[in-house]
Amino acid sequence: MDPTAAHRSTGPRHGGTGRPERPLRRSVDGCFIGGVCGGVARRFGVSARAVRIVFALLALLGGFGLALYVVLWVLVERRGETATIASRIVSDRRELQILLAVSTVVLALLITFEALGLSRVGNVAWPLSACAIGILAVWRGASAQERVALQEMLSSLPVGSLGSSRSWKSIAVRVAGGIALVLIGITMLSKVGQQPHAARGALLGAVVLGTGFLVLFAPWWLHTIRDLTTERRERVRAQERADVAAHLHDSVLQTLSLIQRNADDPKEVARLARLQERELRGWLFNPATFGQRDRSPRTIVEAAASVERDIEDSYGVAVELVVVGDGPLDDAAAAMIAAGREATVNAAKWAQAPRISVYVEVEPDLLSMYVRDQGIGFDVDAVPSDRKGISCSITERMVRYGGRATVRSTLGEGTDVELTLPRTPSGT
Amino acid sequence: MSGPALRVFLVDDHALIRSGIRAELGAHVDVVGEADEVPSAIEMILERSPDVVLVDVHMTGGGGRAVIEGVTGRDSHVRFLALSVSDAAEDVIAVIRAGARGYVTKNISGPELIDAVRRIADGDAVFSPNLAGFVLDAFSDRDGPVAPPPALDLELDQLTPREREVLRLIARGYAYKEVAVELSISVKTVESHVSAVLRKLQLSNRYQLTSWASQRRLL
Repeated sequence: MDPTAAHRSTGPRHGGTGRPERPLRRSVDGCFIGGVCGGVARRFGVSARAVRIVFALLALLGGFGLALYVVLWVLVERRGETATIASRIVSDRRELQILLAVSTVVLALLITFEALGLSRVGNVAWPLSACAIGILAVWRGASAQERVALQEMLSSLPVGSLGSSRSWKSIAVRVAGGIALVLIGITMLSKVGQQPHAARGALLGAVVLGTGFLVLFAPWWLHTIRDLTTERRERVRAQERADVAAHLHDSVLQTLSLIQRNADDPKEVARLARLQERELRGWLFNPATFGQRDRSPRTIVEAAASVERDIEDSYGVAVELVVVGDGPLDDAAAAMIAAGREATVNAAKWAQAPRISVYVEVEPDLLSMYVRDQGIGFDVDAVPSDRKGISCSITERMVRYGGRATVRSTLGEGTDVELTLPRTPSGT
Repeated sequence: MSGPALRVFLVDDHALIRSGIRAELGAHVDVVGEADEVPSAIEMILERSPDVVLVDVHMTGGGGRAVIEGVTGRDSHVRFLALSVSDAAEDVIAVIRAGARGYVTKNISGPELIDAVRRIADGDAVFSPNLAGFVLDAFSDRDGPVAPPPALDLELDQLTPREREVLRLIARGYAYKEVAVELSISVKTVESHVSAVLRKLQLSNRYQLTSWASQRRLL
């Protein structure tokens, strides 16, 4: 598959419009390979044929044009797409690993060639290897639309159809070519002893022999690999679907039937719905920590989330939790969260508000927690003794760790509890 | 309510949610249409040019972001309020950076939603407590000045102390009016602080914002 050959063999289907168009995008229609020449032509407002000729001439300069073409192919977006092939590869860890592994092997081979003094191979080998790696990147990272276009292009080439078509003629050509290469390779290897550069001869012979086997068996081998990966992907997908179905059945469907049974108890319905929402959210958005909620919280975020969960479950009020920053849950932080939990329980029990806002902020030198409701409020100076006890326990907890608690409340408007705790950045 | 009723358009792929919102808003605004998928939403919004579009963040075919991007630039009159059950930071940041002027979760109460729609129509920004929390998180310098982008724009990439105070109160569950009372400033001033933060959120190059955005292929 030589891009320049394709360029020269056919004329341009759409020439430049004469008016430059920014930004540079690979063209989609009327392109032969990756649409690079058409894209460059559009960008500079020249004819696509001229650009193709320039690339072809550059390709004759030790393959430089080829390498440039492939680099542009990988780094420039296709018209109408938002990501380049390179960015797709980089964002997918597995693809990146494959590409890096192949590049390493190719690099090792190139260095071996150089070390063996095969300088004639070396000159062309570098740009050609770069091309091969680039084409591998295209193969792995092209978008679905581009893949379809490439497949069409490949199947229209006489060489491309060799691998896939089952006609007798193509198989005959392939087998004959493969056997010829294998024979040449064996002949070269058998004459190794008579040559002055024995190592070089052996290597070249081995390469020709290997190519012969590749031509003979590659299509069959590719087919097998393709079938295997498709099958594995299908299996993984089926497994995932089964997992999702099982989870939805265990959680959502069960909750829905509970809700139907409790339809005349709005508070219970709200509680069940919230419980289910939180569970589903945890499953969808934090799969890593899902299922570990029974362990004791280790970070401030986890501790605050447990306050939200417990109070919503026990009291049936909505707790709106916002946490900014995070840190390890040391004794002082745990004390503050415990005090905040008391304050939230108070609000849930007494305030008669449908919603309690809890805000936690972790700064390098300060921890703060605010609990707010817009309920009935109370007179801070004339609280009944049973509530005074609780507010004392909040205050005392904070003071023990060098912090402060402030309770503000207005009758009919709500209550604000503010907890602050100075913090040593490196922990206690 | 003064003047003609606000013209509101709903985009959500759940019929149940649409009818719920319609029932809550119906008496207070003029719901001029609804759509359940991206292409028809863009077409109808351009045709009817509503004042405010309530748009669901998660839909097949690109979600709320695709709708916003399809309309912005072709009809600058339309303003967007994003509505979602999700509060994953990258989703929220992505729709805001696409051009939504606010974000609320679907468990918002009816009167709050009406208030939010009016505010959006007036050109203000609407921040739910958790959006305020995300912004404080994204603009914090908790980890020290690590790897600032090469062209760190001080004006755009940092919050003023006053903006921080306003956001903190919103994150604590204060309504704009209550924020104004708490800080002894006018509601208009609160609104202008929040609008300034919205602008920073949309234009800043801060690493956290751009990485959230690029996770969603926004850049």
